[in-house]
Amino acid sequence: MAKPAVIVVGADKGGVGKTTVARTLLDYFSANNVQTRAFDTESPRGTLKRFHSDITEIVDMTATADQMKIFDTLNAVSPSVTVIDARAGLLSPALASLRDIGFLDAAKTGQITFAVFHILGPSIASLEEIAETANFMGGAKYFLVKNFINNTSFFEWDQATYNSYFRRIKDATELTIPKLNEMAYEQVEVASVPFLKFVANKGPQDQAANYSFVLRGYVRHWLANVWSEYDRIKLTDIVGSTKASAARSDDK
Amino acid sequence: MPNTPVYIICSPRPQAGKTLFARLLSEFLVLKNGAVVAFDINLKEPSLLDYLPEITETAEIENTFGKMQLMDRLIIDDGIAKVIDLGFHAFDEFFKMTEEIGFLKEAARRNVAPVILYMPGPDRVSARGHDMLRRQIPPSKLIVIDNEFVVRGEMPAGLAQGRMLSLAALPTFLKTYIDRPNFSFTDYLRQEKDSSTELHEWIRSNYLGFRELDQNLTLQGS
Repeated sequence: MAKPAVIVVGADKGGVGKTTVARTLLDYFSANNVQTRAFDTESPRGTLKRFHSDITEIVDMTATADQMKIFDTLNAVSPSVTVIDARAGLLSPALASLRDIGFLDAAKTGQITFAVFHILGPSIASLEEIAETANFMGGAKYFLVKNFINNTSFFEWDQATYNSYFRRIKDATELTIPKLNEMAYEQVEVASVPFLKFVANKGPQDQAANYSFVLRGYVRHWLANVWSEYDRIKLTDIVGSTKASAARSDDK
Repeated sequence: MPNTPVYIICSPRPQAGKTLFARLLSEFLVLKNGAVVAFDINLKEPSLLDYLPEITETAEIENTFGKMQLMDRLIIDDGIAKVIDLGFHAFDEFFKMTEEIGFLKEAARRNVAPVILYMPGPDRVSARGHDMLRRQIPPSKLIVIDNEFVVRGEMPAGLAQGRMLSLAALPTFLKTYIDRPNFSFTDYLRQEKDSSTELHEWIRSNYLGFRELDQNLTLQGS
């Protein structure tokens, strides 16, 4: 049996696209036949839950009962991958909690696969989170996600600033999430369905929908680019899935 | 079941004869099928809308909303042929968008048969545009139009590969005659008793070429 994998998607800053990235991860695992469950920490109303209601539970990560619900069940439940969408401001406290309950040590000794997708915003403050988060990353796979939803440049024009942040953690891997056409993004929001269902022109209950072909095309193209980033980092291998991306059933 | 054809008439340069070709083709399709929907994506050139206002709609692709309004219509398999007169200024954006949204793949799924009718000149911009299209469009869906008004001689070697259709040049006085906004090719065929006139033969020869093209396209799916 594959060892359990936990992926935390987070940032200490709001509005940087954490939930969007979490949604693309759930779609990616779904397309690769990797059984996944998700926890949305935007208690009491979760955005992730709205899009992936069948596999998402809303939890309060600061509450012990909910921490138990997530981490005490890692070996007990069938999905091998757990995705946690950490709400704004909760990434550092969540990592501290994970250290305190011994989860990070378990990851360090290889009992659990642990990955953090740290979504970066356009400000220096957002970049400064990297240093704070770095202290917890001993046993984790750390991904710095540049989300271009705001056409941000991430200070790439200023190499000194860029290096001072992005080179701070030796084993961090950079990921790039390209920008999605605004109207396409909004239409998916309105539809409240996973990106995959939107592309397939399906409603929340798999019923036939009537989304714009143009917008579906933009989403399909964008999702393919995002997934190629996940393929590049061999995400299915990281989470220990034996079903490689060749099993993907979509028609990108 | 026959396909719904979509004719995309395009060039990366102005004054390539796109609107003339779109007029001819649209009139032929009305004559043959009784209906056609034409889309005019020309903001800076002589416009199809001026010649065939009853069957022509304007479209723009500079924003997402305009793209949706156009492309969501083109992808419908309603049996009515569509003709697009694509202005040179919209050439790059249109094909960038169609590649990104997977237009050809979706069209094939929906029994819609697009064909690109490329109208080059003897210039480098036309050669570059053709290279771009060849990378994107399967050879069976890309036809180069040899417009003798514009090419004036032998088609450059790179452009002469693959499928071609010819548009013969007319004497200047006849060109001026057909360029009048109220001129109709089909009306001329019906009204002109002398079928041996140069213009009569020119129209009939073009309609014959269109008939073959249309048959090939619509029968691909049957």
